[in-house]
Amino acid sequence: MKVLFYGRLSEAIAPEIELASSSNCSIAELRQRLAAAHPHAAATLRSQRSRVLINSSLVGEDFVIGASDQIEFLPPVSGG
Amino acid sequence: MSVVARLEEHRLDPRQELGELLAQAGGDGAVVSFVGIARPHSKSGAPVDELVLEHHPILTRQSLEEIAVGAAERFDVSHVRVAHRCGIIPAGEPIVFAGASSAHRRAAFEAADYLMDRLKTEAVFWKREIGEAGAAWIEPTETDFADRDRWG
Repeated sequence: MKVLFYGRLSEAIAPEIELASSSNCSIAELRQRLAAAHPHAAATLRSQRSRVLINSSLVGEDFVIGASDQIEFLPPVSGG
Repeated sequence: MSVVARLEEHRLDPRQELGELLAQAGGDGAVVSFVGIARPHSKSGAPVDELVLEHHPILTRQSLEEIAVGAAERFDVSHVRVAHRCGIIPAGEPIVFAGASSAHRRAAFEAADYLMDRLKTEAVFWKREIGEAGAAWIEPTETDFADRDRWG
């Protein structure tokens, strides 16, 4: 499954990675898994100010990821 | 009532934005506008040559629209206008225009203030300052979040 990263996560990890199946894993578990794989980005991955979208919709920490879902990690945003 | 929320990839002209808002505001007694400009130095004082604003292909426009509509619904305003740059913005150039018109001044002042507090913390952009010292990601401060929370 595909995971897209933006902002500082895109720079620290990659704009996009292919993840070996994370289906049946919750968002909270995915954060931990990615943080372990990318320790230099762990704080941002674990931060609740970094939001996670599944198929373009914001989801909570308990959401269980399906095999064909597209995942997006949005670190804290700032306009103006 | 009208709501304009635009993402500008190349150029933002605050004079033109204000002119259009004024032209729309016939019959209103007040127009309030704010222009955000890329600062030539960081918080620590280091020189900044340009800001780079990354955006999301879907969510950025949605966030601008949602914030502008939020102001229109919350305050007694006739027109709300937001135009926001993305991409590379040299220091000294405008980043954002936020304005509102209303029958009496208070609503337009409050709408502009609300627009900026929400844009700072909720508009979907990822911002980097680029200067001699390299690049630094800029995220909302605790003050920015507290300013946003004033509106509930």
